Amino acid sequence: MQDFLAYTVLGLCLGSVYAIAATGLVVTYSTSGVFNIAHGAVATMSALFYWQLRFDWHAPAPIAIFLTVCVFAPLLGLVLEVVVMRGLRGTSEVTRLVTPVAVLLGINGAATWIWFRSSNRALVPKKFFGESNVKVLGQAVYYHQIIGVLLSIVIAGALYVLLYRTRLGVTMRATVDDRSLLMLNGGRPDRVSMASWAIGASLAGLAGVLLSPQLGALQVFALTLLVFDAYPAAVAGRLRSVPLTYVGAMVLGLSKLYFDWISDAGQRWLVLRNLRNAIPALLLFGALLLLPQDRLRGAIVTRTRERFRVPTMREAVLWGGVLVAAMAMLQSIMSGSAVISLANGVALSLMALSLVLLTGYAGEINLAVFTFAGVAVIAAWQFDVGPTGLATQKSLSVGAVLLAMCVCSLVGGLIALPALRLRGLYLGLATFAFGIIVYQLVILQTQPLHFNIFGGKFTVNLFTNGSLTVPRPHWFGINFAGQRAFLMLMTVLFAVLGIGIIAIRRSAYGRMIVAMKDSPAACATLGLNLTRLKLGVFMVSSAIAGLAGLMWAAERRTLPNNADFDGFQSLLLFMIAVVGGIGYVSGAFIAGIFLSVLSVVMPDVFDKLGSDYPSLHWLFVTVLGNFSHYVGPALVGIGLGKNPSGIAQQIMDGFRPLKKAPGATAIWVAAIVVLWAATWRGAVSNWHFSLISVGSLFIVPRIIMSVFEDRFAEEERAVAGEDLDLIGIDRAFRSSDRQVLDTALGLPAGPSGGVE
Amino acid sequence: MTLLECRNVGMKFGGAAALTAVSISAEAGVITGLIGPNGAGKTTMFNCITGLLEPTSGEVMLDGADITKLAPFRRARLGVARTFQRLELFTSLSVRDNIRVAGEIRSRWSKDKGKSDTQAEAEHIIELLGLSGLADRDVAEIPTGMARRVEMGRALMTRPRILLLDEPASGQDEQETEEFGELLLHVRDEGTAILLVEHDVSLVMKVCSFIQVLDFGCLIASGSPAEIQTNPAVLEAYLGEDHSA
Repeated sequence: MQDFLAYTVLGLCLGSVYAIAATGLVVTYSTSGVFNIAHGAVATMSALFYWQLRFDWHAPAPIAIFLTVCVFAPLLGLVLEVVVMRGLRGTSEVTRLVTPVAVLLGINGAATWIWFRSSNRALVPKKFFGESNVKVLGQAVYYHQIIGVLLSIVIAGALYVLLYRTRLGVTMRATVDDRSLLMLNGGRPDRVSMASWAIGASLAGLAGVLLSPQLGALQVFALTLLVFDAYPAAVAGRLRSVPLTYVGAMVLGLSKLYFDWISDAGQRWLVLRNLRNAIPALLLFGALLLLPQDRLRGAIVTRTRERFRVPTMREAVLWGGVLVAAMAMLQSIMSGSAVISLANGVALSLMALSLVLLTGYAGEINLAVFTFAGVAVIAAWQFDVGPTGLATQKSLSVGAVLLAMCVCSLVGGLIALPALRLRGLYLGLATFAFGIIVYQLVILQTQPLHFNIFGGKFTVNLFTNGSLTVPRPHWFGINFAGQRAFLMLMTVLFAVLGIGIIAIRRSAYGRMIVAMKDSPAACATLGLNLTRLKLGVFMVSSAIAGLAGLMWAAERRTLPNNADFDGFQSLLLFMIAVVGGIGYVSGAFIAGIFLSVLSVVMPDVFDKLGSDYPSLHWLFVTVLGNFSHYVGPALVGIGLGKNPSGIAQQIMDGFRPLKKAPGATAIWVAAIVVLWAATWRGAVSNWHFSLISVGSLFIVPRIIMSVFEDRFAEEERAVAGEDLDLIGIDRAFRSSDRQVLDTALGLPAGPSGGVE
Repeated sequence: MTLLECRNVGMKFGGAAALTAVSISAEAGVITGLIGPNGAGKTTMFNCITGLLEPTSGEVMLDGADITKLAPFRRARLGVARTFQRLELFTSLSVRDNIRVAGEIRSRWSKDKGKSDTQAEAEHIIELLGLSGLADRDVAEIPTGMARRVEMGRALMTRPRILLLDEPASGQDEQETEEFGELLLHVRDEGTAILLVEHDVSLVMKVCSFIQVLDFGCLIASGSPAEIQTNPAVLEAYLGEDHSA
């Protein structure tokens, strides 16, 4: 009994810190509608800043705390609001989730760059007042923990006064209800948003400082994950209610400590030793089950800024063929290492493809694509190799692939079930939580699991000894073990799946899922069972993710269990897929290649430049290489608010002139083919080939545009009609203008409906 | 025959009562008007009937069966269809696809699965609503009046027994409204019940056989168009207390 009480006290101490972190999240969400997934990163950055002041520069603790919590963190929040979040108004839920993801990765990248660039420095923060403690029921409770509890109580009180007793608080609550009405009444929602982001960031900073000593030595992503643990508390408060968030935080803290108590700090059941780390994610699922059904939402903004054009089947097949042909030509002149980078990119493109269907078309969110890859690998390995032990299988069988897809589909359905009746954001959080649970309980498990089912012994191999080896396929009599052959297999697979996904979009089913994204309320009033449709889409896209994940794993061959599954890679992939253009198959392709280029190719290039020009090593390697590696992907994500339809859309717009000048385009393509042939024969180096061909991608459309400018302008006038206001002033009215006017006014064609 | 019957429906948002014990009804083959000043609770009533809101008290009956607790999609399958005052079009789809997808959704749940030709039916509706010239346009770029017709076409594709129209004529000009009135009569003559929320009083008076008036969440009058036009409570609600002019 005494133990129970002692652990209860410790649990409440931990819960208090979670409460501080989670209320920060609630404050920003409820005034801006943005679920700031970067909250954890703000906390991490602040904790590192505090460490810098307090333990590296030896500033006194009160000054360090003041500068961190009252100056640095709020400033960070302000900058985020003004520079990034303000641009998100009128964008879809997906964009509003992705941008904070980019911020998260950007801040963490910057933190890694600043503090962890040079090898293994241990940054060890200490508790306030060191190890001083009081004994409560025989258990040491540190002053640090007591300070946490006191602060959380003070903050709860202060927030109550702020929200219900001050003018700013009233305005904050009004912003949630109706932003434009508030403006009409003389409120200044922009200021309110700034205030709430500053407060939210300040709370994140405080939580970061309070939580950091738990880690021993600071690590960027580990600390961010530690703050993520508080997110379920905010979900329990429906992202709006501060009191419920406090309750959720206490449940969270108590659950962790009670688990410590009954499991002897994780020593009792070795299989479950990582369960403690999965408790917040499990509680998130619990909270999702308890949340009431969402009120059916209509289109919140009548017209979101994202627009995606659907290609015809003919275009899809044509471009699929072009992709395969271009890849075949390209790989034949590329060096081995370049082929590896490209294959890595195509594998990532395949994984991003599962998101086109799910997110681009249906508007739902999956933040655990890599987890599905892990599940697929385990399933396929089980099928091909069985419980006997080491990988003896030489190639990946079709049966294994099918099994992996089925398992992923079922698992996907199961995790999506509790969140489907809620808004898309909750499904995103559920998948993220699922990723963490699978990572902690399955993928980090290095021993095979043995089951006795109906007397028969059954063994499941997980990532035995910390890694799994996935062989490449040997299908249709072709051995795909070689790098080039496998690259081509993945490219063909991408083309086929891409065409399939476009076919789905053009079918009745595709129209339904798009309709569901545009207006759930209207769909329901037409008799559509939204939950069932969402479940179906999620299962199909999980199966695609499984297939893609298997290819990605086979591309890597040996897959360690600690590199890609902790959740951040999935976040990065999701973000890049949206940046590439989530509504387009081509967007998924661009996303994969882009990610590979930014995180692998660019640093390599800068490394090479650095060793070629040692005097400029600092510029190429220290600045540009690190920048591209750590912060590059995040920066493109942060820019998303400006162009929410993604890169694919921009590229298509850029190439539009080519359509109108088929002759010039044909000459250009022929020139590239000739150049390729010359490279293939060895007359031109492949370095020059890539320089000229990539360069021409940017230059040729501009040249065509400027040469044919007059003709395009004339054609455009013919299509769009002239400036209608000037008809009759610029020139005489013609009978053909009537048709133009009718169309512009949306009147039915024909003699009866015209404007006289 | 009474098809839809709302009995003492009440709806509270926090402390504010949007509807207080409102009882209204609609008959098959009849256009019933539901009018009232802004904020009277007309759209809230529609939301309660279609299930987007669950009323805090009272019952919604369809053809004698209680549907108060049913999910919106189940009510739609029983024949309740609506349009929205704030447009709820599928902005990624063309005009034609907006109407077509409604038929495709219907063919997923209706009993005569696969028997009907959705595409031909959609073309028929497009023709009927005078949308042929716009069928391939993006719904986001057509005028509001036409967009309201698209919503109506979408609702008609579910072959509803009762059609709830929320200000369908706003955004349409005089001539269009006239055509639209004819269209309503045509739909009515095919046996569909129509519950019409509309601010264009002349349209309401012309097509409705029966009118019910809401004000501040309460039913203040009901009767034939002629009765409503002279009802003192209605005049007060619309024109204020001093309505001698």
